[in-house]
Amino acid sequence: MVNAVVSQNRSYELVFIADPRLTDEQVVGLTDDYKSMINGAGAKVVREESWGKRKLAYPISKLSEGQYVILYVEAPEGVNPFPEVEQRLRQNEKILRYLTVRTDLDLKRAARKGKKKPRTGPLAGTEVRS
Amino acid sequence: MSGRGRKAPPPKGARRTFFRRRKVCKFTAEGIEYIDYKDINMLRQFVPERAKILPRRISGNSARHQRMLAQAIQRARHLALLPYVTD
Repeated sequence: MVNAVVSQNRSYELVFIADPRLTDEQVVGLTDDYKSMINGAGAKVVREESWGKRKLAYPISKLSEGQYVILYVEAPEGVNPFPEVEQRLRQNEKILRYLTVRTDLDLKRAARKGKKKPRTGPLAGTEVRS
Repeated sequence: MSGRGRKAPPPKGARRTFFRRRKVCKFTAEGIEYIDYKDINMLRQFVPERAKILPRRISGNSARHQRMLAQAIQRARHLALLPYVTD
């Protein structure tokens, strides 16, 4: 009922695939670069994940492996560090692929729905009318 | 009734009784409301050998969940977590 006027943060996920030939330190350095770009723009990297080297489902620029890094970002409304970060990602040929996804809306909706309908009891498909 | 739901039971003299298993949307059943593109093992269930997205007609997914699933699979493909094609 009450409209949350407190500006809610938006959450994003930024995944990129780095060249498998980079050393671990190089990847960390690269990640730190992007992180500081994001943090510098007023957003915040709240969590980061590194999957290390992983086989690609199909070759990208003749490489069959890639190093996956995922940054979880939170940004207040109006702060959008991604155009610049994405431009940098595109220009860097050590980055094979990247993906940015905004997640707060989906996650919030999921949380809301999940609470409303805790489908734990009856087997799916059975109709229960009470 | 074979429990298909949509269609009325076969007309007169039902030649054969097919036992159609009731199809169920996995995501609805488990109360999953967000399908993560990073959850490859889960997504794989819906990407059979040809790497195509399993149609809803077969998986029984609800329309909403099928849309979310398709989105997740497409994202995973972009990140080379899943193939676009297999040969």
